[in-house]
Amino acid sequence: MRPIAALLGMFRRRQGGGRDADLDAELQFHVEQQIEANRRAGLGPDEARRRALIDLGGLEPVKEACRDERRGAFVATLWQDARYGARLLRRTPAFTVSALATLALGLGAGTVLFSLTDAALLRPLPYDNPQQLVQVWDTNRELSIPRIGVTTGNVVDWRRRTRTLSGVAAWYVMGRTLRTDNDAVVIPTAMVSADFFPVFAAPAGRGRTFTTEETERSLFNSAAAPVGTDPVVVISDRLWRGRFQGDPDILGRTLSLERQEFRVVGVMGPAFAMPSESIDLWIPWGFPGDQPRDQHYLQSVARLKPWVTLAEAQSDLEAVAAGLEREYPDTNRGWRPVLVPLHEEIAGDARRVLVVLLAGVGLLLLVGCANLAGLQLVRATARGRETSLRLALGASRARLVRQHLTESGLLTLLGSGLGFVVAAVALGAARHWGAESIPRLSEAALDLRVLAFALLVATLAGLALGVAPALAGVSAALPVRLHETTRATAGPGPRTWRSAFAAAQVMAAFVLLAGAGLLVRSYTRLLARDPGFDAERVLVMPIFLDTRQYSSGARTRSYYGELERRLAALPGVESVGGATALPTSPLGPDFERPVWDAALARDPASERQADVRIATPGYFDTLRIRVLRGRGFTAQDSPDAPLVLVINESLARQIWPGQDPVGRRLSVDYSTAGTYPYEVVGVVGDVRFRGLRSGPRPEIYMPHAQRPYLVLNFAVRTTGEPEAMIPAVRQALREVDPSQPAHSITPLGDLVRATVKRERFAMNVVLAFALTALLLAIVGLYGVLSYSVRQRTQEIGLRLAIGAQRRHILGTVLAEGARIVVPGMVVGLAVSLAVMRSLRGLLFGVGAHDPPTLAAVAVVLALTGFVATYLPARRAARVDPLAALRHE
Amino acid sequence: MPAHRTDLLQGTLDMLILRTLANGPMHGFGVSVRLQQVSRDVMRVNQGSLYPALHRLERRGWIQAEWGNSENNRRARFYTLTRSGRKRLDAEAENWERLAAAVNRVMRPA
Repeated sequence: MRPIAALLGMFRRRQGGGRDADLDAELQFHVEQQIEANRRAGLGPDEARRRALIDLGGLEPVKEACRDERRGAFVATLWQDARYGARLLRRTPAFTVSALATLALGLGAGTVLFSLTDAALLRPLPYDNPQQLVQVWDTNRELSIPRIGVTTGNVVDWRRRTRTLSGVAAWYVMGRTLRTDNDAVVIPTAMVSADFFPVFAAPAGRGRTFTTEETERSLFNSAAAPVGTDPVVVISDRLWRGRFQGDPDILGRTLSLERQEFRVVGVMGPAFAMPSESIDLWIPWGFPGDQPRDQHYLQSVARLKPWVTLAEAQSDLEAVAAGLEREYPDTNRGWRPVLVPLHEEIAGDARRVLVVLLAGVGLLLLVGCANLAGLQLVRATARGRETSLRLALGASRARLVRQHLTESGLLTLLGSGLGFVVAAVALGAARHWGAESIPRLSEAALDLRVLAFALLVATLAGLALGVAPALAGVSAALPVRLHETTRATAGPGPRTWRSAFAAAQVMAAFVLLAGAGLLVRSYTRLLARDPGFDAERVLVMPIFLDTRQYSSGARTRSYYGELERRLAALPGVESVGGATALPTSPLGPDFERPVWDAALARDPASERQADVRIATPGYFDTLRIRVLRGRGFTAQDSPDAPLVLVINESLARQIWPGQDPVGRRLSVDYSTAGTYPYEVVGVVGDVRFRGLRSGPRPEIYMPHAQRPYLVLNFAVRTTGEPEAMIPAVRQALREVDPSQPAHSITPLGDLVRATVKRERFAMNVVLAFALTALLLAIVGLYGVLSYSVRQRTQEIGLRLAIGAQRRHILGTVLAEGARIVVPGMVVGLAVSLAVMRSLRGLLFGVGAHDPPTLAAVAVVLALTGFVATYLPARRAARVDPLAALRHE
Repeated sequence: MPAHRTDLLQGTLDMLILRTLANGPMHGFGVSVRLQQVSRDVMRVNQGSLYPALHRLERRGWIQAEWGNSENNRRARFYTLTRSGRKRLDAEAENWERLAAAVNRVMRPA
């Protein structure tokens, strides 16, 4: 009877003492009166007492019902259960801490990923009627150009002839040098057409955007062009708050950009992030009159008229382009614009990454919940006697299930509270690590939408955590179990449940490990890929020379000549070279021009498109781009010498397949600079110009001395750590021209790795998920089996006593483990085969069903599963039969 | 097993308790005896639901409880109808009349 007394004591303690004593006394009085009445009716003392209690329906149920009534039932019961649950949680700190940690991490990670996904994919763009905005690209199937910028000439005609677009905005991005008293910085600037702000329907946060007149008088598209009078500029919220410290009188202030004063007419709101979040200045740019139609350097966004569908606009613009092709066959042959919803354009490839990560976190949460549900189940079973007792004392099953649910609800509530804290911290970390991998990251926040999502997931987790254990625990606790000893075996219900949970964990761990394995293999392959140049120990610095100060080619040449000499003279510098654009460096002109064998007539059959780079003699050496034939540039390739070119392997194969191009002549239509034949003096190796994932492109290199260009990306190869050279390099720049800073000075290796940043981000996150899931799965498996062994100690002891072999016992437990691990792995494999296809866009050089990866995952899981099984199995085999039986 | 000869309609028990207490303060056992006498054993009140009902009525403020001495000089909890309890009884009685009349009309058409 002792446990019952103890339990009653526990019940009593958790009621307010006085009220309970009153209730006891009241019912006691009733029972005594009834006994007396029954005895007067002629019953014996025992029978009288029995009848009295039966009539009342048992003391405890009546008390319980009275308490419920007194408290206004529901809330009171909830509070009571919560307090009881809290006490239980306090009493088992190990369980509580692991449960809270699992929930906090799972929910935190889930919340952050949802927040990122929401910002990048789900949330509408922060512009008026964003669904009407489309990005416009040019394509040319004849020249196999899938996607390239548009041209000024065509944009003017599209605007005039379209029936479906209400505006076509165009811009290009460049760095402009902002000078203050003793400092100069290069600011990412968008040169925007007149209808840029109207197309986005974006008003300025302060002041205004440009008038048409201001745009028309600003002509900046050529280095030599006269600048319009009274130039104006709109600045970003970030620039205003940062460099100008939120100056309230910013409107009307002037900025000195390349020695010219620009009047600030407006500050954009913080949400405006077109063309990208890094842009800090918008300068109006008019392109009236006849404009070239063959220079595809413009970015463009158009707005559809209301009620116009994307397909209608697409076919309308194609018809316009077909008309232009007939009118201007030289420049427009084969060119067709293609419209992409802006939202899709911005989300881009990040969609794949985010969907994969969300799926990953879902799986992790599944593992976590399965693990916790398993633990809860153990507790429920361990509390089987308490449950049985309470059932026997008249508690209803519904009431007990409710108690279990309140407990898991409490756990979930605490866990999700912590999860939100984790999310807030992790979002900061994601901003840091995920920058550039995920678009619109700055819009990600823990707002109401995200909160609602977190709440939904937490509720589901709470239910998953509570329902199965509650049902299984309560249904297994039959009243008959009161007769059993404390070491009674668990009913088949909870054990089956637990095995199922453990198998589900193995399954999810398999899928996550498979995903992580594929991403790791693919990332290693990407990094191992030969980019065609050597980025290690190289510093790069984009330099945008001031158009006014360096108005002649001679000045530009002398600046860069002097810079090159000074940099080369620095101790610790191995070589120096520059080119208009460097591989993987995002800043610098990257454009293509038509080229053809000068021995042939220019026609579509002979013409090819080649990317144009203008380079200094040291360039190939500094980047270690291999010179395969002939030579690179030398000082002899001076302005007065014959025009020369170096071409790359890809172009050589296209123009002179199987022949030596050195000594032959290639014609280049260099647009404004005219069309000339050049002598090919060398062939260099291909480079992966747009990052490790990209393929080589046909390229021509021109010597900078013969084609001086204002923009050069300088590269410095150092003998030691490149970062250590940054101050010396900066000093050299200052010595050549203090008003002419570099945009930035960065190790090229960082830029190369940044091209696979998204892959690395996805890999790291999925890998972390997978390892966590593996750990949880092992813990879960170990838990199930050790519990099962502990429950069956007597049985095992008995079997050993009647002659069972120890290795047989070992085998039995190992088999039990295998019954969990093997189905988990089989289902995991099946699920992996089904879902890994969605990774395909992220993978490089590895199939989605890569057999070595899947095999490795299977081996890892089988081994860890074996270890998790072997430990309890060994314990089972070492059971001392005498000790086990004596416990009975 | 306590046999219910006639199950009480939902909410009827509360009304019957209030009506019983309208005659003066009474303890729980007294209420149960009184209910059985008045209804002449036709309708046996499940004692298991009597006490929760008393506590419910107390929480709602329709009856008050205080400790006193019983007929045989034992300490017992006596319940008294409050003013709002009396109002409630009037309202319930009126309701009951209407309901009973309506049921009668349906069951025994004139």
